[in-house]
Amino acid sequence: MARLRPKNEQSTLICVGYESPNVTEMNDWIAIGMLALVGLSIPLGMMVVSYLIRPSVPETSKRATYESGEIPTGGTRIRFNIQYYMVALLFVVFDIETVLLFPWAVVYQDALASPEYGLLEALGPMLLFVAILMIGLAWAWRTGAVQWAQTRTQAASDTDRQ
Amino acid sequence: MAVFQLAEWTAMAPALILAGTALALFVFDSISPHSTNRSLLAGTAAGGALASLAVAVWFIVAGVGTPTVDGGLGEITVLSDQFVVDQMALYFMIIVAIVTALIVVASYDYLVGHAYQAEYYSLVVLAATGMSMMAAANSLVTIFIALELASLPSYALVAILKDNRGSVEAGLKYFLIGALSSAIFLYGISLVYGATGHLQLDNIAEVIAAGDADPYGGLLGLGILMLIGGFAFKTASVPFHFWAPDAYEGAPAPISGFLSSASKAAGFVILFRVFTEAFPLGDQMNALIGFDWTVAFIILAIVTMTVGNFAAATQNNVKRMLAYSSIGHAGYALIGVAGLSADGGELVMGAAMMHLLVYGFMNTGAFLFVALAEHWGVGRTFEDYNGLSRQAPIACAAMAVFMFSLAGIPPFGGFFSKFFLFMGALEASAANTAMLAVAAALVVNSALSLYYYSRLVKALWIEEPATTRDRLARPTGLYAAIVVAAVMTVLILPGFGPVVDAALDAAVAALG
Repeated sequence: MARLRPKNEQSTLICVGYESPNVTEMNDWIAIGMLALVGLSIPLGMMVVSYLIRPSVPETSKRATYESGEIPTGGTRIRFNIQYYMVALLFVVFDIETVLLFPWAVVYQDALASPEYGLLEALGPMLLFVAILMIGLAWAWRTGAVQWAQTRTQAASDTDRQ
Repeated sequence: MAVFQLAEWTAMAPALILAGTALALFVFDSISPHSTNRSLLAGTAAGGALASLAVAVWFIVAGVGTPTVDGGLGEITVLSDQFVVDQMALYFMIIVAIVTALIVVASYDYLVGHAYQAEYYSLVVLAATGMSMMAAANSLVTIFIALELASLPSYALVAILKDNRGSVEAGLKYFLIGALSSAIFLYGISLVYGATGHLQLDNIAEVIAAGDADPYGGLLGLGILMLIGGFAFKTASVPFHFWAPDAYEGAPAPISGFLSSASKAAGFVILFRVFTEAFPLGDQMNALIGFDWTVAFIILAIVTMTVGNFAAATQNNVKRMLAYSSIGHAGYALIGVAGLSADGGELVMGAAMMHLLVYGFMNTGAFLFVALAEHWGVGRTFEDYNGLSRQAPIACAAMAVFMFSLAGIPPFGGFFSKFFLFMGALEASAANTAMLAVAAALVVNSALSLYYYSRLVKALWIEEPATTRDRLARPTGLYAAIVVAAVMTVLILPGFGPVVDAALDAAVAALG
């Protein structure tokens, strides 16, 4: 790192005790490159070291997906219940509501205190916004988005039970 | 005219009325789900669209957007300049409202026995709200939000025939390409913001003019190219056009008409606004980004119209032919941006706006005729349409009007808008000789398009029917919408003066 030190004698004297900003003449990309290098070399190093020092005991049960765990059944390409997506979509309604409510709540008191805005200007837009979201939620509710969807076999067994 | 003073936000009334209509339909559907009261639903949606149309026409007549020196009210900005209501915004709001009204009236018959009536109408009106807001959006953020508001309902509408494989496939393709191009568009926005530090269009122009963006010319140029990609998707122009034939073919025919007319017009208005407001042409701009952006549009215009028309000429399926012809027309309208220059281009941009208005009638009408044929269940190819004029002369006469107008045959509206485009391109060639090639491509492609448009007219009127058909039904709504569209395609000719004035005024205001 000697090259990074200021070359002339005088400034070395001034810089005693701390590194002057002048020292960091090195390109920013060197730091990023070093970070990337270290970031890559740590996991790779760990893999190499464990490869070198681990004992090798080949055994068929080691090839199972979960060693000494559950025995997998079937493939991963199964169909999910559509209901999960419905819940996720309804969550978006509340999510957006929260995202906008927070900044609004922060400025609400100030807005009321200032003479420029009355209660209508401060509260009205948010009430309108919530009302629009509520319309969406009410619509989803009424059209059965929150009713738990059933597969055909489930529906059939329900009718058998009745 | 302005006897009473309205609040500034009421300038957005054409879009707000549409939004209110969509919400009213949702409330109605919440109160009585799965309603089959088609007249009430279609009536509400059509009423909303017509009210939006009436308000937009009233505003433009009252002088909103007309410069105050000419006795108008000047352009009105809403929400700290995030939206601007000027003549161009109102002009395109009118196009959107007209197409929405036609589509909704025609859907009344198309949706007989359909499971999702209220959802369909509210999605159509929501998409129209987005398109109406696109017309007025004045900042890259509001442009993107309005674009998404128009796009998301469109994806659902294309796939609304849930039991029809073609419709679902079309919806998925449209959605995937739409998501990709939205991502590209958004990335473009972020690059432009990174280079200039502003999202509002006039502020971007100021930063560029002040030279503050000079160190980031490459970044800005890349951002502009990505924005062009986003616009190309919305207007179905060449690099992102390949969703159009599949989406239009699979979608319900009224929705195809809606997307290819209103959605395309809305894509063009943001294209016009962004490139005239934010990136004004000139030596400084060219030096900054390293290229002249009109060159990109000249290439896009020529390639788009050529690809669209040549592909349309080889189609056997009528809806697919119309889809490719709609790509070709996007190429014609792109001339409006390609012909801009540092100190001119009002005529060519005004001509593109005229073309989009006429196109709103003739193309919507053509797709509604296809909707009528689907309603009859006669089939999809040219041969299936053979001899339909024996049973349905009125609708077939209207279709002939649409076809000849799309081809640009003199007595109809399409001829005049293409004529103005041609004249505008020639005028613009004084500043940029490459526009001569564009003008030549326009003429060659129009001549080619006559081949496949007249092929359909020949099938309808001259060919013998391949099979004997039963008497064809005359659904009132579809017929009414088709006849209105045809009458307007013809009548727009004597009434072309006001249209020309409105379009040219809007173009001058946008460029000035």
